[in-house]
Amino acid sequence: MSARSRLGDTVRDVLQTGFRMAPWPTETGLRAVGDPGPGSPVLITGNYDLTVRRVLRALRGVDAWLLVAPSQGINVWCASSGGHLSTHQVVTALKTSGIEERVWHRRAILPQLAATGVLARDVSRRCGWKLRFGPVYAEDLPAYLANDGVKTDAMRHVHFGVRERLEMAAAWATPTALVLGGLAALSRPAWCPPVVVMTALMATAVFLVYDRLPEPRRLVLGAAGITVALAAVLSAGGGPGALMAAGVVPALLTALLTFDYTGSTPVEGGSHFEERHWQIALDVDRCKGVYNCWAVCPEACFEKREELRVVELAHDDRCIRCGACVVQCPVDALAFEDESGQRIEPDQIRRFKLNLLGQRRVSPEG
Amino acid sequence: MRWLESTPDRYDAGMRLLTLGRVTRLHDAIADAAAEKPGDRVLEIGCGTGAVTARLAARGAAVTALDQNPEMMERARHRLETAAEPCTSVEWIERTASEIDALPAEHFDGVVASLCLSEMSRDERAFVLREARLRLRPGGRLVVGDEVRPHRALLRVVHATLRAPQAIAAWLIAGSLSRPIPDLEGEMRAAGFEIERGEHFLLGGLALVVGRR
Repeated sequence: MSARSRLGDTVRDVLQTGFRMAPWPTETGLRAVGDPGPGSPVLITGNYDLTVRRVLRALRGVDAWLLVAPSQGINVWCASSGGHLSTHQVVTALKTSGIEERVWHRRAILPQLAATGVLARDVSRRCGWKLRFGPVYAEDLPAYLANDGVKTDAMRHVHFGVRERLEMAAAWATPTALVLGGLAALSRPAWCPPVVVMTALMATAVFLVYDRLPEPRRLVLGAAGITVALAAVLSAGGGPGALMAAGVVPALLTALLTFDYTGSTPVEGGSHFEERHWQIALDVDRCKGVYNCWAVCPEACFEKREELRVVELAHDDRCIRCGACVVQCPVDALAFEDESGQRIEPDQIRRFKLNLLGQRRVSPEG
Repeated sequence: MRWLESTPDRYDAGMRLLTLGRVTRLHDAIADAAAEKPGDRVLEIGCGTGAVTARLAARGAAVTALDQNPEMMERARHRLETAAEPCTSVEWIERTASEIDALPAEHFDGVVASLCLSEMSRDERAFVLREARLRLRPGGRLVVGDEVRPHRALLRVVHATLRAPQAIAAWLIAGSLSRPIPDLEGEMRAAGFEIERGEHFLLGGLALVVGRR
């Protein structure tokens, strides 16, 4: 890579980390990674620039075909859950990209997190390609490919470590700091640096401790935000400026802190699930021990009961209601159910998707 | 216009607003060009909320309507079945445009694509145009109404400037963009069509192009 393109890569990394919520579309279609031949593996991903560049970086030294499917410039997990990366887009990419003329096999590997939206058996029926769900993270691809597509448990699970937490903090802090810092710059330029620093620190603190807070997390965060703001005002002393600061800055920051983090962390499900108390329900009588749910669950909620050929929903406390298990179960043994026994049937989830941001409404009646 | 698709309720009103009301005339013109006489078999790619589908059915065409979005298709179906003169003869197919190759060859008198080719990648568009041609009987016509890049350089600048706010709004709200097709006539010719008619509206940013097999 030349120095110039390395610089471009770094600039894009910084921008896309800071404005991660925005879509970053990249060119769709087929890309050759290394020196692939007709027997090389075919990997599919969405057309989110940050992801595509990370996949390409992870695949250094590997010969493969990378098929970038249209996902509206959104990352794989969000696009799959929101209906933007579904069976349709994968079929389209496979049929129109020219990959069918490049390889003699018909096997492709999808990121595991696409399991909320892409139905492998439908893709197979509609265009003949056999899909497998590979690892969650691109970094695991070389090991996965070298090991003949055997997935270790670690490759199956989403982690939310310090790096991911800082990334999400940056994604929230950057646009917020831009707005608040901009307002400050217009009214009182001297406030601009402290407001930006405070926003960054608070966002970082929130994401570092978020899942360790007691429920209700948002109330706890709100109270913490107000306490911090009051302390800041008291230590700054009285005067009209400080009173203004006491009104505007904490209000805005508390708004940020109590925001609904749906979709930003893998520790919490969609808010419309929380409100309606939708839970995953397993019908053990229907379960045939296919273990698709076990294979696609990013939070390791399922345990195999090999002796009975059924699965057990052993850790539903970890469930984030992503719906991947419901979508992938070939015998419809899983569904969403609320306390009153109302159900959202699997086919409805498969057809309409459950957008985490609530744009697509799904009513249990249909 | 995919961002409007995530809220089908607002799709029609949004489209009218974004095209300053011209979209209604475009729909009429598309239907007129595609359904030449009653009984014509017309395939509509990307029927959306059924604006063109309803007009085709009203002109007596036997319509096969294809869309990948089940919500949009439900709306279209509802629209036709509850119209003043209800139509129940439309064949609805919930599939992507890249699957028209499964439909019978040399079967249709007309193929229609209204505001959907601009949402496709170049690969996909080339595939769909080629396959659309094979679905047409010899002499059949493809009618495309879509966002295009104006031919003249000056218009291109004006158009891009005026389109920018809408494009940014679409990008911010739903993270998607339809991109004006750089050379619609050229791509249709490359797929084997003979261009019969090409009209441009809205500073050259919206086109109606008819091609013959």
